[in-house]
Amino acid sequence: MSYMTPGNPKRRLTGLFMVIIFVVSLFTIRLVDLQIIQAEAINKVSFANRSVTRVIPALRGSILDANGTVLAHTVYRYDINAAPSKVGPILRNVSGQDVQVSVEQVAAELAAILSMKSEEVLQKIIGTTEYSNIKKKVNAEVYRRIKALEIPWLYYDPIPTRVYPNGAVAGNLTGFLGSDSTPLAGLERQFNSCLAGQDGQETFEKGVDGIKIPSSAVITKAAIPGRDIVLTIDSDLQYFAQQVLANTVVKLNAEWASAIVVEAKTGKLLAAAEAPTVDPNDPGKSDAADRGSRIFQAVFEPGSTMKTITAATVVAEKAAEPGSGFKVPYRLTFSFGRDVTDSHVHPTEKLTLSGILADSSNTGIILAGQKVPAETRYKYIRKFGLGEKTGINFEGESAGIVHKPGTALYDLMTDKVTMFGQGISVTPIQTAYIYQPLANDGVRLEPQLVAGCRSADGSLESPARKAPVTVLDPAANKKTVDMLEMVVKYGGIGRTATIPGYRVGGKTGTAQIKNGTGYGYRYAISFIGMAPAENPQYVLAVTVYKPTTISNSLGATPPWRQIMQQVLRNYRVPPSTTTAKEIPKYWH
Amino acid sequence: MSNLNLARRTPVAAVARPGLRLIAGTKGMQRPATVAIAGIILVGVLSVAILNLLLSIASSTSVYELSKLQQEKRELTTTAQILGEQVDSLSSQQNLANAAESLGMISNANPVFLKLEGQKVYGQPQAALNTSGRAMKNMVPNSQLVKKSTTALLAAEQLGQAAETSADTVANKAKIEAPQVVSSVSGIPASPTN
Repeated sequence: MSYMTPGNPKRRLTGLFMVIIFVVSLFTIRLVDLQIIQAEAINKVSFANRSVTRVIPALRGSILDANGTVLAHTVYRYDINAAPSKVGPILRNVSGQDVQVSVEQVAAELAAILSMKSEEVLQKIIGTTEYSNIKKKVNAEVYRRIKALEIPWLYYDPIPTRVYPNGAVAGNLTGFLGSDSTPLAGLERQFNSCLAGQDGQETFEKGVDGIKIPSSAVITKAAIPGRDIVLTIDSDLQYFAQQVLANTVVKLNAEWASAIVVEAKTGKLLAAAEAPTVDPNDPGKSDAADRGSRIFQAVFEPGSTMKTITAATVVAEKAAEPGSGFKVPYRLTFSFGRDVTDSHVHPTEKLTLSGILADSSNTGIILAGQKVPAETRYKYIRKFGLGEKTGINFEGESAGIVHKPGTALYDLMTDKVTMFGQGISVTPIQTAYIYQPLANDGVRLEPQLVAGCRSADGSLESPARKAPVTVLDPAANKKTVDMLEMVVKYGGIGRTATIPGYRVGGKTGTAQIKNGTGYGYRYAISFIGMAPAENPQYVLAVTVYKPTTISNSLGATPPWRQIMQQVLRNYRVPPSTTTAKEIPKYWH
Repeated sequence: MSNLNLARRTPVAAVARPGLRLIAGTKGMQRPATVAIAGIILVGVLSVAILNLLLSIASSTSVYELSKLQQEKRELTTTAQILGEQVDSLSSQQNLANAAESLGMISNANPVFLKLEGQKVYGQPQAALNTSGRAMKNMVPNSQLVKKSTTALLAAEQLGQAAETSADTVANKAKIEAPQVVSSVSGIPASPTN
């Protein structure tokens, strides 16, 4: 049997003291480790747990027409999301009493607002996950109605979304964005560097209740909003032109039609309308072929509207005058065994150069044009802007095709047919700007579609424009315009473009469309003209592609007349007070 | 023994130690100064703590107020967006064209021009009912038409106003002066409307 003995109290006390010292030392070491050695890392972890970093989205700039009408801007749409793991009945205060609303009932309420089926909503909100999207990008009105239901397990993500308030008005020009806001077409893509802003960033600490902690560090990188693009387009005129073209396409059962209105003295595009076209709010509804801009991208042989360049070249080179006579046969047979005929059978006629244009004679324009060397004619064709992209440099714009004399593709037949618009390809925008210098004393101006990129302070950064080019001297230019007036006065089809009260000059075009190596039975019909002819202010080019009910330019003059009348009314152009200079059609 | 020892002690005053001297006692003065300093420090610390607490409460309140105002701003922004989109929709060319059409306003495909100078009419006047070459309805799609003009209501309002104006005109015929018609140089009456 052993008994506890008191032992040495001093020794025990010393031992206890040593243990206490040891334990305290351990705590001290740990304290130093946490507070000093690991302090920075721990602080980082702690801050990371409390801090919230939020991207401040930069709003994309708007696209405006010449009068400030918004064609494209960015608004918020809202994704409606649920946390299925937290879904349950909700309490709603009805007449001062809390009433429990079942999940099925809530789903039915949501479905009614979101235009969905209750089952569909239920399927999305039942589950164990933390996230389920019910519907994407609902508008602000729907978002507000959903929010008013006060459903605690719903949450909302604001999504910046591009909206085009006027729909397809200028939709071919504005282009559109993809679902991920990537610019896919048109000016949206071409001027993305101007329109896109730079996202900002905000970091702050939040409490348990999600409210920002006072005096918590906030690191903010301010969002820089995108800048606006200002166009030269008049959206009201654009709408009018699109209406007329849409009607024309239906009436003529055509593939497409385009109308381009140019302010002659400035080179500004006032309308660049097409039908069919795209509603950029919903590009998926349009055929892929209608989502671009045929005005800049479609290439076709222009036909007789080219005869104006040939006639102008002949006059400018003093090879003939508007009243100079030519014996014009129905058929011309060349030494290399090929021939060219007019569109209608006729005996040999004594036509003046002006008469050749009025009758749109192929053989006649060849007789006149071959008075000038091929190289000279080519030089004028290039001076009129063909064979190269316009300075607008639109997305996917084509340069057209112009063969140079002396090259392999410029054969003997090309030399002849180029004079009346075959063997050469152009875009609709090029055809309009063939006539712009004629309406501006012979000076060709670079086409302008975008007036500039406008900053928040109102400053406008305009795209560079090439210097004006003198295509014709003023005397030759006037003679050419006089001949165009005679086309409208005496031309079989040209006279259908007459606008009472105004002097009008223009040229018809009925171009066969290439079908493989030859030509098919379908046409591109057009009328390009200017008014008032004594001092032209506006140029309008209308093209209708592959019409079936009317296959000559008789189908193009009615829309031309309607749109030009609207232009003259819109811009308050007073009626003409002088009469056209008479140039005889025939000679004796 | 001890008494003897004590007696043997040399009195302090008797020991001659050059460099040391007896000064007047400060014991009574030190105590209040220490207490005062401690008090000041305590009051200072307490004041700072209370001030800090008050500031913290104030800033916390401001943060909740700020949060509330930001929420209000978001709501107002949403309202502005909803109204803005409605205005955009109502003022879109498609809505205006449809509204005009439903009110019986149609575009005449054959406009006629009047030249005041010379009193001449250009063009062949034809009734706008001639639908040749005229688009009968809006043909330019717009999927953003979230709000459309209620033209039936507008037409009724206009009819009501017209009736009211008509009655008013009859009742006050004597009082109301006819609008002054401005004549141009060429003699054709011009509209007084600016």
